[in-house]
Amino acid sequence: MNLTKKIVLAEDNSILSKLLQFKLEKEGYHLLIATNGKEAVDLIEDNNPDMILTDIMMPFISGLEVISHVRNKLEMKTPIVVFSSAGQEEMVLNAFNLGATDFMSKPFSPNELIIRIKRLMQ
Amino acid sequence: MIQNLPELLINFFDYIFFGFAMAAISSYIILAIISAFETVNYMKKNSFVNYTEILSSSISPSISIIAPAYNESLNIVENVRSLLSNHYVNYDVIIINDGSKDDSLEKLIAAYDLVKVDYLINNQIETKPLRKGVFKSTNPAFEKLIVVDKENGGKADALNLGLNISTNKYVACIDVDCLLLEDSLQKMIKPFLEATDHKVIAAGGVIRIANSCIIKDGKLLEINFPKNNIVRGQILEYLRAFLLGRMAWSKLNGLLVISGAFGLFDKKIALEVGGYDTKTVGEDMEIIVRMRRHMEEKKEKYRVAYIPDPLCWTEAPDNYKIFISQRNRWTRGTIETLKKHRKIGFNPKYNSLGTLSYPYWFLFERLAPIVEILGLFYFSILIITNNVVWSYAILFLILAYLFTVIFSIITIITEELTYHQYTKKGMGLQLIKTAFTEPILNHPFILYAALKGNFDYYFNKSIKWGEMTRKGMSNI
Amino acid sequence: MLDLLQNSIDAFNNSHPLIRFCIYLSLLFIATIALLLVYLKNLRDRLRIKGRIEATYQKKYESDLIEYLYAGDDKNINAEQQKIVDYLKQCGENRLKRKLIIATLLKLKNEISGETADAIQNLYYKTGFINSATSKLKSKKWDSVARAIRELTLFEIKEAHDEIIQLINHPKKEVRNEIQKYLVQLFRFDGLEFLNVLENPLSELDQIQLLEILNKFNNMEVPDMNNWLRSTNNSVISFTLKLAKIYNQYGAKDEIIALFNHPNTEIRIEAINVVNHLGIFEAVEILKEDYFTRTLEEQIAFFKMMEEMSMPDDVSFIREHIQHDNFHIRISVMKIMNLITVDSDNTFKVNTVTPDFTIDKDLTIAS
Repeated sequence: MNLTKKIVLAEDNSILSKLLQFKLEKEGYHLLIATNGKEAVDLIEDNNPDMILTDIMMPFISGLEVISHVRNKLEMKTPIVVFSSAGQEEMVLNAFNLGATDFMSKPFSPNELIIRIKRLMQ
Repeated sequence: MIQNLPELLINFFDYIFFGFAMAAISSYIILAIISAFETVNYMKKNSFVNYTEILSSSISPSISIIAPAYNESLNIVENVRSLLSNHYVNYDVIIINDGSKDDSLEKLIAAYDLVKVDYLINNQIETKPLRKGVFKSTNPAFEKLIVVDKENGGKADALNLGLNISTNKYVACIDVDCLLLEDSLQKMIKPFLEATDHKVIAAGGVIRIANSCIIKDGKLLEINFPKNNIVRGQILEYLRAFLLGRMAWSKLNGLLVISGAFGLFDKKIALEVGGYDTKTVGEDMEIIVRMRRHMEEKKEKYRVAYIPDPLCWTEAPDNYKIFISQRNRWTRGTIETLKKHRKIGFNPKYNSLGTLSYPYWFLFERLAPIVEILGLFYFSILIITNNVVWSYAILFLILAYLFTVIFSIITIITEELTYHQYTKKGMGLQLIKTAFTEPILNHPFILYAALKGNFDYYFNKSIKWGEMTRKGMSNI
Repeated sequence: MLDLLQNSIDAFNNSHPLIRFCIYLSLLFIATIALLLVYLKNLRDRLRIKGRIEATYQKKYESDLIEYLYAGDDKNINAEQQKIVDYLKQCGENRLKRKLIIATLLKLKNEISGETADAIQNLYYKTGFINSATSKLKSKKWDSVARAIRELTLFEIKEAHDEIIQLINHPKKEVRNEIQKYLVQLFRFDGLEFLNVLENPLSELDQIQLLEILNKFNNMEVPDMNNWLRSTNNSVISFTLKLAKIYNQYGAKDEIIALFNHPNTEIRIEAINVVNHLGIFEAVEILKEDYFTRTLEEQIAFFKMMEEMSMPDDVSFIREHIQHDNFHIRISVMKIMNLITVDSDNTFKVNTVTPDFTIDKDLTIAS
């Protein structure tokens, strides 16, 4: 049995996802990276991750739709953390209505993200 | 004296046609020079603007995307999804199902969990009545989406209902089948917000041709150069119109058309003039002329802006039948619009709109095909009466051809220096080949369609658009 | 063969001058086409090479940056990091590569904060990129200056302040705008002092950009806005009204109410909206007094305000407007009378209709 915890990250900024991958793999997580919402949904369906990190604004399928898909269609209780930018408060509220667990406002500190992930994974 | 008459006549016509050709050529050259300056300026100004970090927040002004759909069942779900993922926060998407006879509405209801709602509509413009009503999604992820089902009334009527429904400050009127890049709204709204000493009443975008390009998940993955000659010719034609023509006209603040496939309007002004005219087939040109006229009459400083970035991609007709019917419609639209607004033509009260834009459109868009056909007619008479000086005629044709080719090549160079979209190896050669073949392979059909448009307009009144337009039918 | 050539030349020389002119012209056109084609070929080749460099180095710089950040969290950089610094420094001498490196650094820096962001800023110093940016401030080309200021803003280089502030009256609006953003990004509300002396209008876009920058920061001491609300520059007033609304400046209420009589209609309307947002009840009577002399837009804004702030005393005044010609006023009246409930997304419910009012069906109910 594989005990490594899996995290799906949906983020269209390639450097940010690479940085988070390094940081999180250092902490012993396995990170699966999607560059848009559609890839994220596919990764989630195939891998059944322990945690989902998603940006709100993404091409084609938005972060909101990813959350809605996970909670309503797949009926998974996986913790979901959304990334938002300044001024997207309304979208964050919607994310919580749809069942997001937590949110981080960009720009955020990667270290703080790791602390939150650890706490949520317990 | 009498003997001299045929010669005199011949001389007279020679001068007329020669004069017209010279005027056309010089106007093209002048426009190209203006557009070169304007392009350099635009590129400089935008070299340091990072769009991704602006206007993504809710302080930015609200926009409604209005997209009429008629029998679009095949792609409607995907198209709507792509419209919903624009990188702008404060916007909604209003899909007007214009009496479709297919299952568009059912598909949308199923895909986006829509339910019928009671919705406040400010009926400022008369439109055809609603059919099944207004729908919104129960899923917060799609809260930007409004779907309206109405009786069929044509594109203009559908857009008018969209204007009534929208509660936002700006409206983007688009064709539902076109692909908007994700930063399109951010870029299009910019001229409205930058203006301080005048009002921007509308902004037009560029239409690029998506035939043969690979689009996946609402993203343009790969730009290809199609094999079809009709489409190739149109690619070059669009590049010429947008990179050289429109750029210059926007500098002169003389734009008379913004593309019906993608334009952004100040809703208040669009409503003040009464929305789109449902009686013309050229509603996209007509509304701009009417809005400009309105501003001139109010004596307010205004601009019609133009964004040259390739933001909207759409399929162009790929067979002669549809191509000709599209151009036929554009011709009739132009005639109707110019006729309806005859009053502003050559009228100094309307400033550059009356003395520059209108005359230009009248001479070189409206009359050019007619002059050309008269020229050909005249030429055949000369042949029959054996009055042709062949060396002149042939040289004249060669010169005209070479000039067209030069103009196209300059367009291609401009495209390379600015947006450089056709990056693949070999595409350069194909573009150049098209520059040489287009005057022969495409131009005769454009000319034929323009004549047919004139004929239909004057003698065939029964031809009208009863129903919504099909793919690629919007004026560019 | 030679004969043929000779004959053609003779024919040419004997022909009409106009024909000769046309032949010259077409030869000129053909030569132009040939030249343009050579140039186009050359251009495309150059662009292709540039594209290739961009694609390769972008990836390279991304992984260099990650490696640099991963190599150590310390303030002092180690040997491995020094190697990357030296490499980037060397690459930076090439204009295209410098642009790519800067873009890479910013792509990450814009999204993160904390130590990692500091480390990126540190890298910007260490590679000496900061020096090339500050030296560009003296450039004669306005777009170079604007780009340099922008770069210094994004890397948050406070040391450049004294040099940048000297350009505050630059003739190009784009440069002035970059300076304003620099000031606000680095000095927050203190940076807004330029509003005291601003003579040029602040466009809607400038205002939005400044507000978005401010929006990124929390817990700031909001400055006194009264002066700006009295500004002779209308755009400063409308910007300050937006600030007052976002930061709930109840303290500025007297100045805001005074704007009800400002000569500019849009400012008057915005002032009503702000009063509505802040819930300043004393404004109701003031507006009701000269309601009929105000423009339709102001009347609409007033009724919008009454949706939140009407008192039982106001009912008779409001009721008079139930048949008003304007849609928005009519809807406001119905909302206030609680005949309908309208949600934020413009969907609505009809409440139990009180016998004295019926709803004009055609105009309000859509379905």
